[in-house]
Amino acid sequence: MKVKIFRWKAIGPLLLFLTLLGVLVWIFAEPVARQTTEEASSELLGTEVNVGKLDLLPRQASVDLRALQIADPFVLTRNLIEADEIRLKLNPAALAEKKIVIEHLSLHGMRFGTARKKPARPPSGKGFAPQVYRAVNQWAKQFDVPLLSLTPIDTIRQLALDPTQLTTIREAQSLLARTDSVRKGLEQGFQQLNIGPTLDSARALAQRLAATDPKQLGLDGTRQAIQSVQQTLKEVEDAKKRIEALERSARTGVQFLGQGVQGLDQARLKDFAFAKSLLKLPTFSAPEIGGALFGKVSIDRFKQAAYWAELAQQYMPPGLLPRPTPGPNRLRAAGQTIEFPKAKDFPRFLLEQGQLDFSIGGTSPIQGAYTATVQGLTSTPALYGRPAVITASRRAAGSALASIDVGAVINHLTARTHDSASARLQGIKLPSFDLPGLPLRVDPGNGSSSLMFSMRNAGAELRGRWAIGSNKVSWIADSAGRQLNDIERVVLRVVSGLNDLQVVAELSGSIASPRFSVSSNLDKAIAQRIQAVIGEEVAKAEKMVRAKVDSLVADKVEPVKRQVAAVQTEANQRIQAEKQRLGEVQKQLNVELQRLTGGLVPGLELPKIKL
Amino acid sequence: MLTLLKLIQSMIKTLHSAGTPGQVAAGMALGSVLGLTPLLSPHNLVIFSLLVLLNVSFGGGMLGWMLFVPVGFLLDPVFDRIGSSLLTAPSLRPLWTDWTNTPLLPYTDFNNTIVLGSFVSWLVLAIPIFFAARYGVAKYRATIGERVRQSKVYKAITASQVYNVYKMFRP
Repeated sequence: MKVKIFRWKAIGPLLLFLTLLGVLVWIFAEPVARQTTEEASSELLGTEVNVGKLDLLPRQASVDLRALQIADPFVLTRNLIEADEIRLKLNPAALAEKKIVIEHLSLHGMRFGTARKKPARPPSGKGFAPQVYRAVNQWAKQFDVPLLSLTPIDTIRQLALDPTQLTTIREAQSLLARTDSVRKGLEQGFQQLNIGPTLDSARALAQRLAATDPKQLGLDGTRQAIQSVQQTLKEVEDAKKRIEALERSARTGVQFLGQGVQGLDQARLKDFAFAKSLLKLPTFSAPEIGGALFGKVSIDRFKQAAYWAELAQQYMPPGLLPRPTPGPNRLRAAGQTIEFPKAKDFPRFLLEQGQLDFSIGGTSPIQGAYTATVQGLTSTPALYGRPAVITASRRAAGSALASIDVGAVINHLTARTHDSASARLQGIKLPSFDLPGLPLRVDPGNGSSSLMFSMRNAGAELRGRWAIGSNKVSWIADSAGRQLNDIERVVLRVVSGLNDLQVVAELSGSIASPRFSVSSNLDKAIAQRIQAVIGEEVAKAEKMVRAKVDSLVADKVEPVKRQVAAVQTEANQRIQAEKQRLGEVQKQLNVELQRLTGGLVPGLELPKIKL
Repeated sequence: MLTLLKLIQSMIKTLHSAGTPGQVAAGMALGSVLGLTPLLSPHNLVIFSLLVLLNVSFGGGMLGWMLFVPVGFLLDPVFDRIGSSLLTAPSLRPLWTDWTNTPLLPYTDFNNTIVLGSFVSWLVLAIPIFFAARYGVAKYRATIGERVRQSKVYKAITASQVYNVYKMFRP
């Protein structure tokens, strides 16, 4: 019987089915691609991305996007970028490998900071970008921006402090427990040393040999005596090593306690600050005023820079090792999709050359046509071989009064990554902002602003500088607000008289442990005026705070310090005593050994003589 | 409910089709990949075409698909592990590097742990599925098959228009 393998009559229906499938793909490709683009880019950037229309132009290997909006993840009612038309020219060979290589991107009708008709969705979910968004917000919270306190001095009353709220007392109790534990540990260590038997036998041997004449021992007797001395000396040496080990351990324990004592002094400083905060004393230290007035607005700038730098770290990793990313969303589990970069091949994503044209209209000094370029933005910088560079500046010569210069370099070619961005705006209308703690809004008017942000080695080294300067500042008081107190009126009088504003905020350190400082020309002016008005009263209040804290913690801290000192002294004395005892007996044994060997070097093996 | 009815309908039709137990079993073994692996994967278009073109039971294929859909969902964590171990094996890295950098091959999505893990599992399970299905169909036909054929339900199903279309693809 002939076995029939193919069902030839089914070819027709199969072709029909495949044609139908092709037609469906043709009809739905653009809406599906538009939706997928929106979803994928929203997921990647961690902010809502909207695409009005998407046209696929297969003959030109191009994609046209219209009405693109990228929401600002930090201000949901505002667009970071809005563009009328974007054309992407793709590399067909790379597309065959399921890679997106944009040979040329042109973007027209770009606008920044436009208002959104509908607020964007806040970044949420478990994706990488929302995680970074949350992490960056958390990171920004760690900066200890002082609150501007302008409480009238007449409200300072007697300070009521609860001792349980004081860190010093809690630390002292904890240190006491640690001291006890170190003391017990040392005691146990001394017991385990067990050098008594070694000392006793060594002394006994030394005494016995001292009473013996080596000449009467004979050759064999002398040899045995020497061996006994050497054996005992070895035991003494072992005991010394045990003591040295204990000494090291005791030193660590004692050092640990010493740190605890230092910690108590630091805790006391914290308690002073805490007690002072209960009094709500007016702030009149210049650095604190600077931080209080401009800390939040400065950190917001650095926070945004840190967010984009962190995304760049994730999406543009150095090296060519396989990279797992979450698989596509589907009913079935997503799993992980692993990318295998290959040397001299296309990266998974590459924007070779992007040209962005935008214009600023009106009659302002910054009006004119601008151009921005993006080069080498890629998912695998090691394959592209050059850092990504972004620049933006005015295309034609314009007013010398105003300009916008933006530049960024993302260098992830090796593990020693370096991201840097700088933006310099001159003669442009700077956004107004509220002054925290004061019913006042600052409108810097036309001025200059610069931001520099640099991150090396995945956040191990961080540098940032944000500065604004304007000589046409206006101060908008919140007239509908509450009645101002005397100090607030003083501050308002000071700032209202100033037309000039210079703020400089600096960031340094690392992502894990950043340092932040901010200063302005307002700080000193306000500080001097407040100090002149209420300085003496505040100094008295601070003295009272110190006395109160000292009185509460002194009887808890002093006994602990004494105990720590006692443990330190005792440990030292006992170890030295044990070392001395061993040293003495070792000396005696060496004398005897020298006597037995007739002045030969101790430890030297005598020749064995057959009798 | 509709899915369940369709499943019963498909099962009854397939088990009583003119195809040999081997043809039904081959259809089920091929169809099981549609259920075990994520459906919208390019290799499933090839499998579907094979089901149509090869002289195996198309109904068996559909039956295999439906039976293995829940199995696929249940075994996703296992597939993920299998796929992950294959994709991260240092000895296989050159293969995957070439695979994902060769035109058209990346569209297979075999660099996804679930797709690769489930496909490889199907390759391993296809032969046991074939033999188990062949044994099951033969046993069914030899025992209760004739009684079911005489039942009113079976006659109602076979009399429907859908059955006429289905007969086109019957081996």
